[in-house]
Amino acid sequence: MKFSYNWIRELVPGLAEAPGPLERLITMKTAECEGVEPACEMLAHVTLARVESAEPIAGTHLTLASIDAGTAGHRQVVCGAPNCRAGMVTAWADIGRKTIHGVESDGMLASPAELGINKDHSGIIELTGEPGGVLDRLCADSIIEIDNKSITHRPDLWGHFGMAREVAAILGLKLHDSVKLDLLPAGEAAVKIAIEDFALCPRYSALVFENVTVGPSPYWLQARLAAIGLNSINNIVDMTNFIMSELAQPMHAFDADLIAGDTIYVRRAKAGERFAALNGETYTLDPANLVIADSAGAIGLAGVIGGGPSSITAKTTRVVLESANFQASSIRKTSSAIKLRTDASMRFEKAQDPANTVRGLARAVELLQEISPGIRLVGGVAESRREIAPPAPIDLPLAWLDRKLGRSVPLAEVRGILERLEFAVSEPEPGMFRVGIPSWRATKDISIKDDLVEEVGRMVGYVSIEPQAPLVPSRVPPANPSRQFQHDVRNIFVDQGFTEVYNYSFLSEEAVRAFGFDPAEHVRVANPIASDQALMRTSLLPGIWRNVLDNAKHRESFRLFEIGLEIHKKSEGLPDEIPHLAAAIYDRYGDGRAGLFEVKRAAECLLLGAKAVPAEARSFEHPARSADLHWRGEIVGRFFELHPRLVESGRAAILDLDLRAVESLSGTEVKFTPIRRYPSSAFDLSVVAPLRAHAGTLRSEAAQFAGPLLESIQYVREYAGPPLPDGSKSVSFRVTVGSPERTLSSDEVGQIRAAMIEGMRGLGYELRV
Amino acid sequence: MLDSPLQELEARSLARIAAAASEEDLEAVRVDALGRKGPLAQAGKEMGKLPPEERKSFGMLLNSTRQNLEQALAARQQVLADQALGRRLDAEWLDVTLPAPGVRRGHLHPITRIQRELEDLFRSLGFAVLDGPEVEDEYHNFDALNIPADHPARDMQDTFWLDRGNLLRTHTSPVQVRGMERLGPPLRMIAPGRVFRNESVDASHEHTFYQLEGMMIDRDVSVANLLYFMKTLLTAIFHREVTVRLRPGYFPFVEPGFELDIQCLICGGPGCAVCKQSGWVELLPCGLVNPKVLRMSGIDPEVWGGFAFGLGLTRLAMMRYGIDDIRHLNGGDLRFLEQF
Repeated sequence: MKFSYNWIRELVPGLAEAPGPLERLITMKTAECEGVEPACEMLAHVTLARVESAEPIAGTHLTLASIDAGTAGHRQVVCGAPNCRAGMVTAWADIGRKTIHGVESDGMLASPAELGINKDHSGIIELTGEPGGVLDRLCADSIIEIDNKSITHRPDLWGHFGMAREVAAILGLKLHDSVKLDLLPAGEAAVKIAIEDFALCPRYSALVFENVTVGPSPYWLQARLAAIGLNSINNIVDMTNFIMSELAQPMHAFDADLIAGDTIYVRRAKAGERFAALNGETYTLDPANLVIADSAGAIGLAGVIGGGPSSITAKTTRVVLESANFQASSIRKTSSAIKLRTDASMRFEKAQDPANTVRGLARAVELLQEISPGIRLVGGVAESRREIAPPAPIDLPLAWLDRKLGRSVPLAEVRGILERLEFAVSEPEPGMFRVGIPSWRATKDISIKDDLVEEVGRMVGYVSIEPQAPLVPSRVPPANPSRQFQHDVRNIFVDQGFTEVYNYSFLSEEAVRAFGFDPAEHVRVANPIASDQALMRTSLLPGIWRNVLDNAKHRESFRLFEIGLEIHKKSEGLPDEIPHLAAAIYDRYGDGRAGLFEVKRAAECLLLGAKAVPAEARSFEHPARSADLHWRGEIVGRFFELHPRLVESGRAAILDLDLRAVESLSGTEVKFTPIRRYPSSAFDLSVVAPLRAHAGTLRSEAAQFAGPLLESIQYVREYAGPPLPDGSKSVSFRVTVGSPERTLSSDEVGQIRAAMIEGMRGLGYELRV
Repeated sequence: MLDSPLQELEARSLARIAAAASEEDLEAVRVDALGRKGPLAQAGKEMGKLPPEERKSFGMLLNSTRQNLEQALAARQQVLADQALGRRLDAEWLDVTLPAPGVRRGHLHPITRIQRELEDLFRSLGFAVLDGPEVEDEYHNFDALNIPADHPARDMQDTFWLDRGNLLRTHTSPVQVRGMERLGPPLRMIAPGRVFRNESVDASHEHTFYQLEGMMIDRDVSVANLLYFMKTLLTAIFHREVTVRLRPGYFPFVEPGFELDIQCLICGGPGCAVCKQSGWVELLPCGLVNPKVLRMSGIDPEVWGGFAFGLGLTRLAMMRYGIDDIRHLNGGDLRFLEQF
């Protein structure tokens, strides 16, 4: 929202602060300012001048104008405008001499666009008045831009008058009210108003004018609107925009001759009702939308935009001027449904003050007399409204206020602040104020005593509050074991050489399909940033895959990991969010073997004693290199090599762990086992098995024959080649046996060994003994 | 008269010991001089033939000769062993400037680093670290925070909508609500985590970023307490004294609501490019918890009050490490990540 400094100063006549300091005051006490920009700068240098003669400069399209600039004397100015002619009064800007096409020019004659009044640069501005005089109500301005978000809760600050009230309160100055309510005509209205639902439209006020002249606005009005970023349309429309920008009351002017019947209806749209708006678009409406209608159909979309056919044109001579109040949420719903945000809808959705409708009309009566000379009112104010109860006053205990702020504010100061903001203050009992809420603060903004803490706090200035340590009991906070567990996992993987990445939670359908997942199984974003970010990830693997490909462009080998949430659809409620770890080891060279065993080793750092169980490969996995990780009786993850089809050069080994499962199985209490006092014995056992027999299987098979004295059985090596037959290998294990009670005799050890050999033979294995 | 052959033997043997270059040389001397059939043994046997008055002095001579030779042998042996060790160790010269084999330690993500630092800091101040879902319902993300449907404040946060009215949380504030529901007052909690806004990505905007929500609920919590707490916290975060100021800000879940600025850490106040010449940098939104929010979560605002704040972890990480492009953080590029 842009605020004109000049406008504010008109409403706060005593304002002496320059725009810069004023901006800082507003930021500290009211709302965030985003900066101050100059507007209409050229106007600081201009005076009225009469062109005394205008001679063409040979060989150019330029004119050499001799001007009378009053007290600034007579000057010679080079001018390129086609309308430069003797006798005209225009604006001369005293901006120094320069030479144009060899002719010296003393200052310049300015177009309306150069002066910042509008966008017209077809010629120099045509004015009236005496040379040397000032331009009527035109002067350089400064624009203070306020962050819209910071005034979301303040319907009154969407107009200059509201901001002027703040400025007056901050500086202790008097506020000038530009509205003269006694200008409102009495008598029977010339138009009837019929409101279907007062909840949606608490108040609708209108005035009818005749003998209207539609034409350009005076320059001062155009300049005002231009300064705050609004285009000038014509005097009538400009007047409505001016009042909206001043009083925060959106208004709309209809051509009265184009309205059918004598009644304006405010009703819900019919299902499928078509509405042609003045922006050239046609909208199909439904009963959630509120329309302004005549007897023939919709002539306005309430609070959002007027209709095309009934809008003001050069032919208009009679006008119905609407100044209404609409329910904020209804306007917002309609505006977001048809995706059209207008200056009007932006204000109405903040919950405007119903008392403001007639203020807008009164201001219009005054302005129209100036900008449409000869205009006449027809009848009195047309009105329909529901009874709006005054807001209940709020009791403000002053001791409570001091406790909330953490400093004491003298009673008289609290009263002064509230009264400057036009709250009504009484003191029904000592130490307690009863605070009446002005209508423009009562719609949405202020309803509880905490809201008044803010009013007092910001005005005394939060900088006046000394920091104070809170007096609260010390307590050990409840633990968050899951988070701690994930931090521990991060440490383990970082220690094992993995670098942490963060990936987006979004996936493309393409990436999902590349991994053989079903897009329909994914939670879908209804309004994605881009079509390739529409699915919520059910796996971290596509992200890790992208990390592998991206980094393989720069690195020969690397390790990376991510801890993040998989999001799984559920038939009701919120989706299931499962924390996972995905890690990758990439090597451009080699056969991939080392990487695969490294991810396995890394997994074992976390999952002590986990078992790899060969698993059927999924489409993105190397068909002969994938395994489930079994740990404490559950499958907690998987490791595999990415299918070489997915990796252009090099090999990528991947680990994927369900951290929720791992965490739930972790944390078993440790129980000390006494250290053995008697020495153990060890012997080697070599099993001959088919080439693709799994060492892990052989190991568990052999272990089952060892009996209760087995301490450990460890893989030592494997060998294939002569003298073993083709297609077989020998796998050697070191078997350690012992007893906590005694040293085993060599006979006992020999018996265990024999039992194992016999058992394995029983399973069909040869043993090399 | 037997004296001189012993002395001669001793002198000759000592010379041989001194010249010995190996264990073998020494052993030869030992055998020759001290062996069972050597001259000393022989002399010992002959000692009995001596007259008793000579026997004592001869015995002493014999012993001293033996001792001298044994000491010399041991000393020489030590010298030779030291020399041998020296030669062996010298041969074991290593180029210690060679790189150590094995993988290097990896790197934590910069956001993780900041987040952990803050988690530790807050835990030390008695705050619980809570988690909430990334996919939220409308109630927890908006309604329970005093942002009802059709409230214009919903525009402050462009939302990613999912099916069934669920959404991707636009802030970590819903964890406040879940914390109040679960733990009740008094409550001190933070909730760091990933949040989502429907915005296009460029060097300074991301649709996926990180926040840390904080809340304290107790009896009589004031704006002065909030100020103290923020100052303490920020001083710890920036490892130096920070000056803070509050100014009005609008957030429906707090009343009054503030924007907290810190005095520019680059220029210290006079104004520079970083603070856009204002001397202050906007850092975080905060405020006293709106009683409506407390009530919705079943807490009586006449008894309990509190403050809440939202810290931008992403922004903080960028400030801390001087990261100029937010896209690096979710980009997965090791050339970036390995710097932390």
